[in-house]
Amino acid sequence: MRLSDLLTEETITVSLTHKDKQGIIEELLDLAMKTGKINDRTAALKAVMDRENLMSTGLEKGIAVPHAKSKAANDLAMSLGISAEGIDFASADGKPSHLFFFLLAPETAAGPNVQVLAQIARLTADQGFCEALKSASSPGEVLKIIRDAE
Amino acid sequence: MAHDGVIKKILLYVDGSEECVTAAQYAIALAKKVDAELRALYVVNMSLLKELLRARIFVKIEEMDYEQDLTQDGERYLNYISELARSKGVDIKTELVKGVVNKEVTKKIEEWGIDLLVMGELEPVLSRTDTFHREAELIFRKAKCSVLIVKDAKRVEHIYNTVETE
Repeated sequence: MRLSDLLTEETITVSLTHKDKQGIIEELLDLAMKTGKINDRTAALKAVMDRENLMSTGLEKGIAVPHAKSKAANDLAMSLGISAEGIDFASADGKPSHLFFFLLAPETAAGPNVQVLAQIARLTADQGFCEALKSASSPGEVLKIIRDAE
Repeated sequence: MAHDGVIKKILLYVDGSEECVTAAQYAIALAKKVDAELRALYVVNMSLLKELLRARIFVKIEEMDYEQDLTQDGERYLNYISELARSKGVDIKTELVKGVVNKEVTKKIEEWGIDLLVMGELEPVLSRTDTFHREAELIFRKAKCSVLIVKDAKRVEHIYNTVETE
């Protein structure tokens, strides 16, 4: 399953506006809502924040993957936010996060959900890919970088 | 009953995709036609879950939760395929295992003495990092028996529908 099949220019931003974790997650959720695959914003936000409260989804090297499964999703709903300056997301290495891959999955789509998360893990293991995304100046450019990497 | 045919034991690889349902229909029709023993196998992809845990995308409780979800998914797919087979009067043995997908499938091929593996169509263009279809391709390459990749869903559905119902 390709990330470029789940993302559109509408669900990508290269300039996240919020600087706090809750604000970032809500901004990503609002982007993901544009897919039309999320039927309950409140429930979706709760699911993602509950997961976030288990342990921060801020990983190492500037990557964050806020995600959850919820009845609020009819299908896999994904968005991507980029912050060039970086945001404190309580990451595993204590460094600011720049690339935020948001994924909300239905409760009954474990297989595809796991595939997409694995795809994110594999793509972001490539430092060159991450640097290219951070430097992207438009959602269209982001989508092209991802398509080329896949 | 003695089986003298070329195809005696068929294994259907089940991965939950639409393509594997088409493969199931074909395998059922074929098993009935040649009077072969039919088995279906679903593998819970534990290596993928471990990979997500190592990458810290999953926490431990999440890994266990998704393992349960994938297991339930697999049981659902196998039950559905069993129904497809039963409705055509074809006996099918199903099994769900957990592990590295391509290794478990190739192990079962040897263990069960399978002489034909039936699987769904592979994606036409592999994503370089696509773990899902890589497993299918690894199975295709590593299987020690003949492999039948089922294509043309519409034609296969017609074939399946013309199999006598029992």
